Amino acid sequence: MITLRGVSKTFEGKRKVTALDHIDLTIERGEMASIVGPSGSGKSTLLNLIGGLDRASAGEVELDGQTLSSLNDDELTKVRRDKIGFIFQFFNLLPTLSCLQNVSLPLHLRGWPRKKVEARAQELLDLVKLGARVEHLPDELSGGERQRVAIARALSIYPPILLADEPTGNLDTNTGAEILKLIHDLHSRLGATVLIVTHDKAVAESCPRTIHIRDGKVFEDVRR
Amino acid sequence: MILLRLISWPYARKHLLRVVLTMAGIVLGVAVFVGMHTANQSVLAAFHQTIDRIAGSTQVQVSSGEAGFEEDVLERVRALPEVRAAAPVIEAAANTGQGNLLILGVDMLGDRSLRNYDMEDSDEAIDEPLVFLAQADSLIITKTFADERHITTGAKISMRTMQGDQVFTVRGIMKPGGLATAFGGSLAIMDIYAAQKVFGRGFKFDRVDIALEDGVSLDAAIAKIQALLGPGFQVEPPSSRGQQFEATSSIYALASNLTSVFALFIGMFIIYNTFAIAVTERRSEIGILRALGATRGQIRTLFLTESAISGLAGTALGVLFGIALAKGMAGYISGLLSDVYGVAQGASEVTPEPWLLAAASAMGLATSLIAAVLPARSAAGVDPVKALQKGRLQSLSAGENRTRRLWALACAMASAVAFLFSNIGWIFYGGYLLAVLTAVLLAPAMSLWFAKALRPVLAGLRPVEGTLAADSLIQSPRRTSGTITALMLSLALVISLGGLARASYDSLTEWMQIALSPDLFVTTAESITARSFVFPESVGEGIRKVEGVQQVQFVRTVRVPVKGVPIMIVAIDIASLANHVKLPLVEGDAATMYDEAEAGRGVIASENFARLHGVRFGEVLELAGPAETLHLPIIGIVRDFSDQQGSILMDRELYIRAWRDNAVNVFRVYLKPGADEARVRQTILDTYGSQQRLFVLTNKDVRAFIIRITDQWFGLTYVQIAVAVLVAILGIVNALTVSITDRRRELGVLQAVGGLRNQIRHTIWMEAVAIGVIGLGLGLALGAVQLYYSVEVARRDLIGIEIGYAFPFQMVLILTPIILSAALVAALGPAESAVRGSLVEALEYE
Repeated sequence: MITLRGVSKTFEGKRKVTALDHIDLTIERGEMASIVGPSGSGKSTLLNLIGGLDRASAGEVELDGQTLSSLNDDELTKVRRDKIGFIFQFFNLLPTLSCLQNVSLPLHLRGWPRKKVEARAQELLDLVKLGARVEHLPDELSGGERQRVAIARALSIYPPILLADEPTGNLDTNTGAEILKLIHDLHSRLGATVLIVTHDKAVAESCPRTIHIRDGKVFEDVRR
Repeated sequence: MILLRLISWPYARKHLLRVVLTMAGIVLGVAVFVGMHTANQSVLAAFHQTIDRIAGSTQVQVSSGEAGFEEDVLERVRALPEVRAAAPVIEAAANTGQGNLLILGVDMLGDRSLRNYDMEDSDEAIDEPLVFLAQADSLIITKTFADERHITTGAKISMRTMQGDQVFTVRGIMKPGGLATAFGGSLAIMDIYAAQKVFGRGFKFDRVDIALEDGVSLDAAIAKIQALLGPGFQVEPPSSRGQQFEATSSIYALASNLTSVFALFIGMFIIYNTFAIAVTERRSEIGILRALGATRGQIRTLFLTESAISGLAGTALGVLFGIALAKGMAGYISGLLSDVYGVAQGASEVTPEPWLLAAASAMGLATSLIAAVLPARSAAGVDPVKALQKGRLQSLSAGENRTRRLWALACAMASAVAFLFSNIGWIFYGGYLLAVLTAVLLAPAMSLWFAKALRPVLAGLRPVEGTLAADSLIQSPRRTSGTITALMLSLALVISLGGLARASYDSLTEWMQIALSPDLFVTTAESITARSFVFPESVGEGIRKVEGVQQVQFVRTVRVPVKGVPIMIVAIDIASLANHVKLPLVEGDAATMYDEAEAGRGVIASENFARLHGVRFGEVLELAGPAETLHLPIIGIVRDFSDQQGSILMDRELYIRAWRDNAVNVFRVYLKPGADEARVRQTILDTYGSQQRLFVLTNKDVRAFIIRITDQWFGLTYVQIAVAVLVAILGIVNALTVSITDRRRELGVLQAVGGLRNQIRHTIWMEAVAIGVIGLGLGLALGAVQLYYSVEVARRDLIGIEIGYAFPFQMVLILTPIILSAALVAALGPAESAVRGSLVEALEYE
């Protein structure tokens, strides 16, 4: 379960910017929700805080009862590596690594033996229907294919939480729909909690729950 | 220009550290170039100024090498109608109770028509030259020397002379200016006839200074005097002096040129690396500019201009550092030369000449521009559509260039062909260049190969981090190949210089073992090379009678012009030499050589004389002494380290005949078996030391002295090595700094997907150490090749001696931990910045 209690995030600079302002939110285990809102509303910041990529300025973020603010950097990394899979809008694949190597990366970081890593990576690439392109570099793939590699990487340890930041934002409509279908499919098969930040109304409405963020606050929380 | 202000300047400001590191290669190269040349030129200029000041209004000088000549030459010259004034001179360095002085022995009666003695207080000794003459203990010193030591007129200065310890009285102090400023004021005037006794010159003068009558042509006068005296005399204007000094300092110039060129060459790779990465990093910026209408030419110009500015800024800084370096080096060089010339020649002004600044600017600018050509071309070739697609091509392209490998193969083959014809100078140097070029072209491929070979090793050490580190090198060879190339070149330079030093020491030790066989050396100074004072033969005859002495060899060493160059003549009893010493033979037959030389039918040339001056075995040399001009063939070439410019060994009898000079510099004393060395030494000192200036050096003392002098000469080599190591370290720091910036997102992704801080740190550290290992491997391999060429360059053009090839394994043992530690230390900062930065920012695209 993901719980946010009075979470705020401010950015200090020439001008102080409040990206999130006292957010209270609970997302149940296995739930699939979309987070929507205009640009600059704080959706990505919210996702980054839940994913432990950033720290809240105030309030608590709790994953399965574990408070993230009390963790040091290495503990936070361990949370990311054991519980969270990330899907980014611009894929963030390492350009010099092949598909197989990109997917293998989180497993290597856990110190898995090479053979086991390769077997799991192959299995995941098969799952996202890229089993025949394991040796290709990201540059040799289309946008949709790259996002599928990124999804396979996010799933490498079958994380209980999958966070996707505009997963279809950089894809055409058809490819976007395909990726969305894949995420839904994986959600139902793996039972992970899925949070999707999106601008796309269709993507948002495909999720059973949609959280609207505006000016750093939860403006609306719709369950279908 | 507007692009420069809007695009380049903000980028440079944001990456200030990188800009500074990139310029560092240029700064170092230019600093070494400007520093060493300025130091050399300043010392040389000061030396020439000293010659001018000592010369006064002298137009022509007559000498006979360092051997001196009989007094009658003065009268013969004076009798010529063209000569207005002629004055004899004895010039010698001496250590006194008050410090080292260059003593000018002059005839006060006639010398004032040539030199201006502007005295502090009027003194009768100077106003009335006959009084000065009558008082043989008179000495005139300079105001600078007097003030520094708080000496006034009437003060006493002690000196060990060839007539024993003597006390001189200061009878005059010269005002600062003109003559009194020569050698920084460390100059004293003595009556010439007193100087003859003090320095053991007998009835000889070192030279005659001449002023010509008004309207007499200099060339005509020189021709006439030369015709009068014969070929055994050098008749030339004072400006011709200092040839030896120039030859000595020119070795420095050549060595420093090599270091600066290498530093710049290495700097070129550092710049190339940085620009190549900058182009990758700025692809989207370039894409936007192109989309907004910037032409390919404008983009190319933008990058080249950035490089030019960086080159010029580096040059400017290099010049500043160079001047500072020159000030330190001038002291070092003059100190070194003072060992050779007796008195330190300080450089009063250390300023670079305009041509040097122009050359340095051209070098700095050209290096920077050449390094940026390829990255600028790649920037100009950026496809705006692709560049604007986010997530594409964010890293330097992987993959090796097949064309480059083919070029490497072509260069290697050409170098091998050149090797076959390396007896021709330009082909040899061409082959050398091609060998280095082959290594440079092959470096990326070799780095890749090395990285692959290291992968299992690194993975074995730390499975996750090791694999990631090795993969990073394997997948982006271009990101690190520039650094590895720079590292390789630096280390190759270090290895070749170190190897050269090692081999030189080995050769020298071997030579000392053979040539320096006497038990004792009786000399006129603590230094075996000093030649200011000389012994009469009678001292040697006396030493022969000392109990325990088996044999005494009389050695006279003088520099005389041979083929227009001052060369050291070593005159010794060849028969006696052959009994004790078998000099390493380079060419000829030992038995015939010693027999013919003993009979006076030929001379023995040193290997370096033959090589440096293009003299061959069998060639007939003209050796002109005041009494006779000898035409003698070279009957043997031997390895001899007596002098940097080479030496000629001849039988002493022959020398005495031609030069009418039976003085002795050193007595080489062999003891009877079982004789007590300390006792014999003390007996010689007791018997002769009180009567005259005399030092008895043991074999160990002489060897230690030679090693000390050699160490000083190699001081420059160590500076070069330090520069090369510094450049290597700089390259690693630069590469890692830019590499981490380049991989900020990549490292962010690693952390996002679960990489612990320590894992990221260890990955970067291992990658850095792997770069060090690869650079070391390639550097040692190229160093082994370069050492061969360096030995050849030394043999052909630097020292003229074949010193043999000895790979400096000891240096490798020292170098390995230094480079690997430097790599690790260089990685600490970038690794910390990589793990401490904001993850969110690292993963952002805008």
